[in-house]
Amino acid sequence: MTPIDLVVNGERRSVTVGDDDLLLDVLRGLGHTSVREGCGVGACGACTVLADGHSVSSCLARAVRYDGVALTTADGLPAADDVVEEFVAARAMQCGYCIPGFVLMGHELLAENPDAGAAEIDAHLEGNICRCGTYLEIRTALENAARRRREATRTEKEPA
Amino acid sequence: MTVDPRSSVATAGTEPGGAVGERWTRVDARAKVRGELHHAADEALRPCLDVVVARSTRPHALIESVDAAAAKAVDGVVDVVTGADLHALLGDAIFTGPAFADQPCLAVGKVRYVGEPVAAVIARGQAAARAGAEEVAVGYRELDPVHDVDAAVLGAPFVHDVLRPSIVFGDLAHLRDKRDTNVNYEYTLRHGEPAEPPPGSVTVSHEFWCPPTHHVPIELPFTAAWRIGDRLEILSATQTPSYVRQSVADLLGIPLGSVRVRSAPLGGSFGAKMYDRLEPLAAALAWTRNTAVRLAVTREEAFLLTTRHGCAVTGSMTADADGNIVAADSDVRYDTGAYADVGPRITAKSGMVASGPYRIAQAHVRSRCVYTNKPSAGPFRGFGVPQVTWSHESLVDELARARGEDPAAFRRRNLLREGDVSVVGTPMHSADFVGCLDAVTDALDWDSPLHRPTGRYRRGRGVAVGIKAVLTPTISNAVLQLNQDASATLMISTVDMGQGSDTIMAQIAAEPLGLPEGSVRVVTADTDVTPYDTITAGSRSTYHTGNAVRRAAEAMRDKLVDIAAARFGVPATDVKLTGDGLVSTQTQESASIPELLHGHFGARGTTLTSEAEFRTTWQPYDKETGRSPQVTEHWFAGAAAAQLTVDTMTGRVHVEHLAIAGDVGRAINPAMVEQQLTGAAIMGVGHALFDQIVFDEGQIVNGTLLDYQLPSIHDVPDKVTPIIVENPHRTGPFGAKGVGETTIIPLAPAIANAVRDAIGIRLTRLPLTSERILDALAAQEEQS
Amino acid sequence: MTATLHRPRDLGTALDLLAGLGDPMVFGGGTAVQILLKQGVLFASDLVDIAGVPGLADLVATPGGLRAGTMVTLRRMETDPLVHDRAPLLAQVYGRVANPRVRNTASVGGNIAHGDYRLDPPTALLVLDARVELSSAAGARHVPIREFFTGFQETTVRSGEMVTAIDVPTQPLGGAAFTKLSSLAANDWPVASAAVLVTAADVGDREIRIGLGALAPTPVYVAVALPATASDDDAVDAALAAVEPLIDPLPDVRGGVAHKRRLGRVAVADATRAAWHDTPHDLRGTPGEEAIDDRRPTFLRRHRRH
Repeated sequence: MTPIDLVVNGERRSVTVGDDDLLLDVLRGLGHTSVREGCGVGACGACTVLADGHSVSSCLARAVRYDGVALTTADGLPAADDVVEEFVAARAMQCGYCIPGFVLMGHELLAENPDAGAAEIDAHLEGNICRCGTYLEIRTALENAARRRREATRTEKEPA
Repeated sequence: MTVDPRSSVATAGTEPGGAVGERWTRVDARAKVRGELHHAADEALRPCLDVVVARSTRPHALIESVDAAAAKAVDGVVDVVTGADLHALLGDAIFTGPAFADQPCLAVGKVRYVGEPVAAVIARGQAAARAGAEEVAVGYRELDPVHDVDAAVLGAPFVHDVLRPSIVFGDLAHLRDKRDTNVNYEYTLRHGEPAEPPPGSVTVSHEFWCPPTHHVPIELPFTAAWRIGDRLEILSATQTPSYVRQSVADLLGIPLGSVRVRSAPLGGSFGAKMYDRLEPLAAALAWTRNTAVRLAVTREEAFLLTTRHGCAVTGSMTADADGNIVAADSDVRYDTGAYADVGPRITAKSGMVASGPYRIAQAHVRSRCVYTNKPSAGPFRGFGVPQVTWSHESLVDELARARGEDPAAFRRRNLLREGDVSVVGTPMHSADFVGCLDAVTDALDWDSPLHRPTGRYRRGRGVAVGIKAVLTPTISNAVLQLNQDASATLMISTVDMGQGSDTIMAQIAAEPLGLPEGSVRVVTADTDVTPYDTITAGSRSTYHTGNAVRRAAEAMRDKLVDIAAARFGVPATDVKLTGDGLVSTQTQESASIPELLHGHFGARGTTLTSEAEFRTTWQPYDKETGRSPQVTEHWFAGAAAAQLTVDTMTGRVHVEHLAIAGDVGRAINPAMVEQQLTGAAIMGVGHALFDQIVFDEGQIVNGTLLDYQLPSIHDVPDKVTPIIVENPHRTGPFGAKGVGETTIIPLAPAIANAVRDAIGIRLTRLPLTSERILDALAAQEEQS
Repeated sequence: MTATLHRPRDLGTALDLLAGLGDPMVFGGGTAVQILLKQGVLFASDLVDIAGVPGLADLVATPGGLRAGTMVTLRRMETDPLVHDRAPLLAQVYGRVANPRVRNTASVGGNIAHGDYRLDPPTALLVLDARVELSSAAGARHVPIREFFTGFQETTVRSGEMVTAIDVPTQPLGGAAFTKLSSLAANDWPVASAAVLVTAADVGDREIRIGLGALAPTPVYVAVALPATASDDDAVDAALAAVEPLIDPLPDVRGGVAHKRRLGRVAVADATRAAWHDTPHDLRGTPGEEAIDDRRPTFLRRHRRH
């Protein structure tokens, strides 16, 4: 067993983990049940977390490797998160089980490429499964979130 | 159905409205997006032991020994329980099932499929339980297995020595103790007199196959159970809490009232999480060992819990010289796997629509439910109907083409209309097949010429319609609590699994009371709290539970009117409920709901309660003809049309435009209806093109999400057009009916018909993989 | 049985562990290994986690191209400007692997050490003539990628060795294309993939280099020479003739041998046609350093597959 510090949504949490404990189980144990198992093999995206901003399948990630790494879970996003707001506005959920994973993938994409359009969105979401079939709403939500970020950037750049 | 005349009469003139037909935001939308909504496995539980089962490695074998010594030696393992152990404690009650009591939660004496639970390992922690399960050694004496449905029909080997119909169903009594057969149920439909085809008629016939598939809701199955004195409590991801309560009470031989079943919002289900899944084993272990247990399964195990029926159909259809369908014949064989589950019901309910939604002079259907040595097949969105629709919508298309007629026009002439009596004997109402067909073909601009390139990519268009009967008879109840602050709490046992029932029911409850969006909270199903509801399945909730909810809300309105009349000193007929509260039209005196309840009870924080039930009745179908004047409470009508290209080099199908329509009576929430129409269609695209369970000698070979094929965002059609068709049902709540299955039913044949249009080849086996398409193109080239 | 996890902090310790332990396995990105461990189909007494070894995740320019440390992620190969500049085909192909989460964690070295015949990156590494650096306690050796894959899920990596880096020569001027075909869902494993690079050794001559994925028990490489004046159709015919004896597919749920062979031919034909078509008539030699930037797109967009 190894003592590690997980930095989850900005909060440092000291835990002791076994070598093969999965990040998924450790985060759920800490109450972050927005991180969910769907397939156990990294193929559905329900267990997505961001590690230093990069998406990771926590069902395949050994927790011991994330000592000190900044982790983001969907439940820890700010109260007024632009991606969350656009998902709600676009009705981008049915059962909702997979949606936190899509939200985090969206965050990763828009941080890298705020100009992302439908093709880039689709490419980035290709490993996330929404069995309810809410893909079109999800794409719309991220197109709108991208637009919102571009507009925010433009406003910032405009001379006072 | 039962009608409460008071509620109908009292409705007039006092309908505040403002809820039904509105695009209210889905309840818990933000919590869902942020992942803060708790599913069953997210609940904080009392300390539980973890249970993992050791599974059969044989498709058909006698269990000669179970050696658990090594498993028990694993650190953390508490005990190992076998089917024989539970059978000794519970007797034959260990065999459960919704139609046949044939499935033990742990195999007793014999295994019937690869993956069947043989022993339960109880341990402190999942890892220990899983490690223990690896160590259970089972000695088998192998029996000949039967994997193929048509081989199983012919005779030995037999999966079950004796049929075990459930005592619940009187119409299955004649099957009790029947031996030497794998056919556990047979439904026959005979309509009209067989006759020689008239001169100039055209007949088409084919063999069709739909493979078994899996639901793959992304939330994995989960059940926890514990005993508190003489009561058993269960928390389970289930669509059927009321069923589970009775099933578990019967299993344990304890009173219904001693069992509490709680469900939770489901992360999808589509039929996977209903009837007896993990609950019997969890209940049996918790009860007999007086301990708290938790069963959480992996995705690989989830594939073994239930599947969609593979189905073979031998079908033919005849049109006379005028283009009227004069005869249809279907021989349907559902592969129900090792246990019947609800297969017999599927066999009957889908058999009765195997000829499609057409005016047909003479129809014959033989529909059989057949055991094989595979995981059990159960309910799946569409309840067996997509499999027979695959047949009739392919046949109708070929029939139109054989006559040189446009497939849409041919269907339009033959489709059932309002008031027509279907071949099964029940009249049509609020099922506008023609309207749905027109909607989807209009969306595709069907009558304008299609650009048809002649090179590598070929383009085609196809259409299909679908019909399904709602489950009948069933029962729903609702209890409504109006809080003194004018919010409301609705107690129903409908489970929200993404279809949006918590939102729809809130809208129905709000409508008669004029309550605003966000003011009605639906309580998550809990049999200690929420009243009986048959099941959340088969697109039945909006109509059935919706009617109970509407009645409860109307009863509440009547109560408020009575209280206000007493307060105002006027007759009840003088009081109106408005968005602002209750008003006397005579005196103009008014009181808001908070004021009224405060005054009535003399206290703040009080609640006023109303309740209602809704039941449907049927007339059982005739044993000989399979017909009934009231075989179902209502019909679902839907249509799909696809425009696509086929890459003749790779065999890949690319759907450019998919239009789907359903007659929903009335859309309670149009936005959510569109999501159901679209979501079912996208699932249907998977079924059409690649989604299937592949077996090898009874073993699933693609039972992980690395291999099992589900539509991703790349598989979504370029354009999807969902169309709501509304022909209000005379007894639906505000005219409404359900919608969850409507568009999955015609989806696969619509795509296959478009492929037929594009490349001139009729494919009869699903899915339409690139390999099948290229093989067919190669054969076509060889012939020409 | 749980494998013991070792987390060495320097390469020497890591290599000593690999030399001394009973049945060790390198734990790099950990994606494939973790899946196989969970599925109970991979057995190792010890896992040597090399994430903490400094230097293994370096991606640097070299005089003749670039060098990717074994722990460089696939996603960095997809997005890093250095790879876009020096080997754009490679960036494109890494961007086609699985999904972004896999690419964020899976490593360049682990990816090839896995030896899965369906992987995308080997197709590009083959046509670019990459070299694999293998290290052990005894020292390092370099193996051409074209000799790296030796059999079904077998590579030339010996007991006690690990991949420490891949050296990739700068992509020669000329057309390049990658085609990946799946037969079921769009994002499924490929049933056929082909990377094709057209190069010029001498004026008037062309070499079509072809790397195949998923079409034989190992990734496969073949090259064919053609005059520069050959038509697109000639190029396709030559490529198909060259790959024909090498296509040896494994049947599975994604298709039988004949089907995969068919799709293999389509992948080769499509990639060859595109690469040949994009090759300038006046093509000559390998680019100088200064010639690189203006000949290639600076950012490759992935397009929705048709």
